[in-house]
Amino acid sequence: MEDFEIARNITIGQYLALQSFIHKMDPRAKLLCFAILVAAITFSASYTANAIILLVVLALIPFSKIPIGYALSGLKPAIPIVLLLAALQIMFYTSGFAGGPNCISFFRWGPIDSNTCGVQLAVVSAARFIELLILTSLLTFSTTITELTLGTEGLLSPLQRRFNFPAHELALTMTIALRFVPTLAEELERIMKAQVSRGADLGQQGRLRFVQQTRALLPLLVPLFLSALRRAEDLVLAMEARCYVGGKGRTHFIEFKAKPSDFIALIVVVLFSAGLLFYQFPF
Amino acid sequence: MSLRLLSRLPVNFGRRLHFTMSATEPILRVENVYYTYAPSSPKPIHALRGVSFTIRPGEYVAIIGHNGSGKSTLAKHLNGLILPMQGDVWVRDWNTKDKAHRLDVRSTVGMVFQSPDNQIVATIVEEDVAFGPENLGVPHQELRARVDWALDTVEMQAYRHRAPHLLSGGQKQRVAIAGILAMKPQVLVLDESTALLDPLGREEVLRVARRLNDEGVTIVAITHFMHEAALADRVIVLEEGKIALEGTPREIFNQAQRLRELQLDVPEITQLAHRLHAQCEAFPRDVLSVEEFVVAVAQSERERGRGGEGEQGSRGAGEQAREVLLPFPPSPPHPLSRSPVNINVRNLAHTYLRGTPLESVALRNVDIEVRRGEVVGIIGHTGSGKSTFIQHLNGLVRPQSGAVRVLDYDLSDKKTDGRALRRRVGLVFQFPEAQLFEQHVGDDVAFGPWQMGLRGDELRVRVREALEAVGLPFDSFKDRALYSLSGGERRRVALAGVLAIKPEILVLDEPTAGLDPRGHHDILERIMALKRDWGTTLVIVSHNMEEIARLCDRVYVLAGGQTVFNGTPRQVFAQSEKLTQLGLGVPQVTAAMHALRARGINVREDVLTVAEAAAVFSNQSSVFNS
Repeated sequence: MEDFEIARNITIGQYLALQSFIHKMDPRAKLLCFAILVAAITFSASYTANAIILLVVLALIPFSKIPIGYALSGLKPAIPIVLLLAALQIMFYTSGFAGGPNCISFFRWGPIDSNTCGVQLAVVSAARFIELLILTSLLTFSTTITELTLGTEGLLSPLQRRFNFPAHELALTMTIALRFVPTLAEELERIMKAQVSRGADLGQQGRLRFVQQTRALLPLLVPLFLSALRRAEDLVLAMEARCYVGGKGRTHFIEFKAKPSDFIALIVVVLFSAGLLFYQFPF
Repeated sequence: MSLRLLSRLPVNFGRRLHFTMSATEPILRVENVYYTYAPSSPKPIHALRGVSFTIRPGEYVAIIGHNGSGKSTLAKHLNGLILPMQGDVWVRDWNTKDKAHRLDVRSTVGMVFQSPDNQIVATIVEEDVAFGPENLGVPHQELRARVDWALDTVEMQAYRHRAPHLLSGGQKQRVAIAGILAMKPQVLVLDESTALLDPLGREEVLRVARRLNDEGVTIVAITHFMHEAALADRVIVLEEGKIALEGTPREIFNQAQRLRELQLDVPEITQLAHRLHAQCEAFPRDVLSVEEFVVAVAQSERERGRGGEGEQGSRGAGEQAREVLLPFPPSPPHPLSRSPVNINVRNLAHTYLRGTPLESVALRNVDIEVRRGEVVGIIGHTGSGKSTFIQHLNGLVRPQSGAVRVLDYDLSDKKTDGRALRRRVGLVFQFPEAQLFEQHVGDDVAFGPWQMGLRGDELRVRVREALEAVGLPFDSFKDRALYSLSGGERRRVALAGVLAIKPEILVLDEPTAGLDPRGHHDILERIMALKRDWGTTLVIVSHNMEEIARLCDRVYVLAGGQTVFNGTPRQVFAQSEKLTQLGLGVPQVTAAMHALRARGINVREDVLTVAEAAAVFSNQSSVFNS
C-alpha cells in the first residue's frame, strides 16, 4: 500500500547497448532467425536435439556480449512453473509421446502413473521452456523497440503490397502503444495516490466480492480511461498536424541494409534447424 | 522573411521560394470565419462568430482570451485541422478547404499543442522528430540533415537518443517544436504550448520561439499568460468567438479595465505603472516589463532633479528614502508562533529505487515545521524534491531516514495507520481534476466521506459544506454533469472532494497551474477563505511567486532535496540573488524594486505586491509630487 512506485524510471524494452554481431544484425534477418529457431525448438521432441539446442542457445549468450547472469535473470521467476509442470507431467502423463506407445511405467499409485514417456515430456518441456526464454531475452536485450517494430514492418511489407495487409499500421500501433506504457503507468500511479489521499481504500476488500472489488476499481479505471481517450484524441490531432496520412509515400528515418553476414547467419540458422527437424535422433 | 532562413531551405523548396519573395503579402488570411460545435443539437456551441484577420510573414502574434473564448478552435483553423463552416482560411494562396493542398498547408503552418506528452509519437527523440518529414516523403539523406538541424535549433542534440518519457516538460515541448521544424514550416502556431510547463520550461520554449522569430519564422502564440503576450508584435483578444481587441501589446494592456471585463489580466508591472500614472500624470502607463519600468522611474527621477530643486532637494529625498526603508509593517511577532506544531519534519531523506542501478536521491535533508493555522509555502525548481516531500505528509511515502510527525502520528513508525492520518490530512495533487470519476458533481465530492462511513444527512451536509467552501452552490451544482463544467470549476470540484473529508491540514500542489486568469483568481480566493473560515493549516507548493507572496505566512526554499532557507515571504524574496541562483524567481514587483536599487535608486526591496509598491512610491513623494 505504501509503495506506489509503479512507474518511476520504467525502461521501454530491455535493450542493452552493446557492440556484438547479434546487436548489429539487420533486425529483419534477426527476427527471421528467431522465428525459425522457435519453430525448431517447438518441433524437437528428443533429448539429443534439445540438448544440442540448449548448448547452442547458451553459446549465443557470450557471443552477444550480454553478461551471462543478466541474460539468465529472466529464468528465475519461471522456475516454480517449470517445476510444477514437470511434476504434473511425470505424475499423470499416460499416453505415448515421442517414442510412441512403448512407455515403461515405474510407479503407480491410484491415479498417479509415472512412466518414461512422462519423464521425457517433462524434461523436454522444461528444456524447451528454458531455450525459448533465453532466446527471447537475447532478442529483446539486443534489439531496440524501433528495430523490432520496423523489422516486423519490413518483414510483413510484402504482404501489404500483395494482400493489403496493414503492416505499417501494425508497426505504428506497436510503437505508439509502447511509447505510452510509461506515460500511462505514471498516470495510474498519480491517480492511485490522489484517490487514496481523499479516503479511497484500495486493496483491502473482502475476498470473493467481485462486484464490490470492481466498484472499488472505478475511481482508478474511469480517470485512467478518460485520460487515455483524451491522449488518443490529442495524439490524432498532433499526428494530423504533422501530415500523417497513412503509410503511403512515407520515407524512413531509419533504413536497414541487409549485409552479406545477415544472409550467412540466416543460412546457418536454416540449415541448423532443418538438420534438427529431419535427422532422426536415436535418443 | 529573412534570407538567412531561406538559404537553409533545401533545393526542392525552390518552388516555395517564389512565393516568399513577395514578403509583404499576408501568409495567413482568416476571412469571416464561423464555427459551431454540435450545430444540430439543442445547445449548439458557437465557438467562432465571424473572425477576420491577416498575419504577415515574420510577425509574432499573440492570441489571448479566457477559456471558452474560442482561441483553440481558431488555432486549429490555421492549419486546416478544423475547416470553417462559413468563411475561409487562406495559407498563402491555398484555401484550407482545398484537399489537394492539405499537406502543403500543414507543413507550412506547423502546430505545437498544449500537452507535451500527447504529441510525441515515437519511443526515441530523434525518431519522433523525423515523423513529420517521413510523412512528407522527404528522402533519407535530407531527412537526417533536417533532424540534425531541428534538434540543434531547439538545443536538444544531447538528448537525441533518449526515451521521451525521461525528459522534463520543457524538454518534451522542445522536442515537439523540433518535430514541427523538421517539416520546415513558415508559421509556427503554439496552441497554449506553455500552459502546462513550469516557469523554467516556459522560458525554454519562449526562448526558442523568439529565436525562430528572429530567423524569420512567423509565430502565432495562443496563451493566457499576459507576460507572454507582451513579447508579441501584435495581440488579438478573443471574446465569445469574436475579436474584442487588437493592437500592439502596449495598446492592449493600456486598457486594463476592458481586459478585466474580458476576464483577462494585465502583467503586475503594468498594473503598478497604472497606479503610479494615476498619482502622477507624467509617469507612463504603457510599461510592459521590469526593464521598462526601471527606465521610466529613472526618467521621472531625473526630470524631478532637473525641476530645479537642486542639491537641497536631493538631500531631502535621501532622508525620506531612509525613512521609508524602515522595516515594513514593523514585523510583528508571529501570531501563530505559540500555537501547537502540526507538522514536524527533521533530517528527512528519501531515495527512489534504493539499491538498484536506477536509484535517484529525491530528498537529502529536509527540516520543516508547520504550526496550526499557518499557511506555509514551499518553493523550489522542478526536481528539488517538493512532490516527494509533500507525499510524506499524508503517509503516501514513508520516511526512509529522519523523522516525520504529523498531528500526533509518528510516520517513522511502520505501524502508524496511514489511512487514519489521511482522514485528517488532505492532499490535493497537481491537476486534481484528473481524479474525478463520477458522472455528477455531488457524487464525486461524496466519495471521500462515503468511504469514511458517512451516510444520509451527515453525508449531505459534508458535501454541501465542501461545495460551498469552493464557491459552488450545492443546490445548483450537485446534479450537474462533471463534463459540462469549465476547467476552473472542475478544479474546484476536485478541491471540494478533498475538503469533504474535513482535513485539519490541507496540502496543495500547484493549485492554480494551467488555469486561465479567472480560474486562477477563483482558486486563490477560495484558499484564502479556507484559511479565514475553516482555520485549516495549509501547505502550498507553487512555482508562482506572486501567489506565494499573497498567500503564505512563511516560505521554505527547497533545492537539491534540502531545505536551504526559510522565513516570511518578505525575508525570503529579499534574497533575490540567491533565489535566482536556484533557478527561482521573485514576484515581478519585487524584481522591479531590486532592479531600481541596482541602478542606485533608493527604494525599499521588501515589497511583494502591487499595492505595497504603489504605497512605497507615494511615500517616496519626492518622485511624484513634483
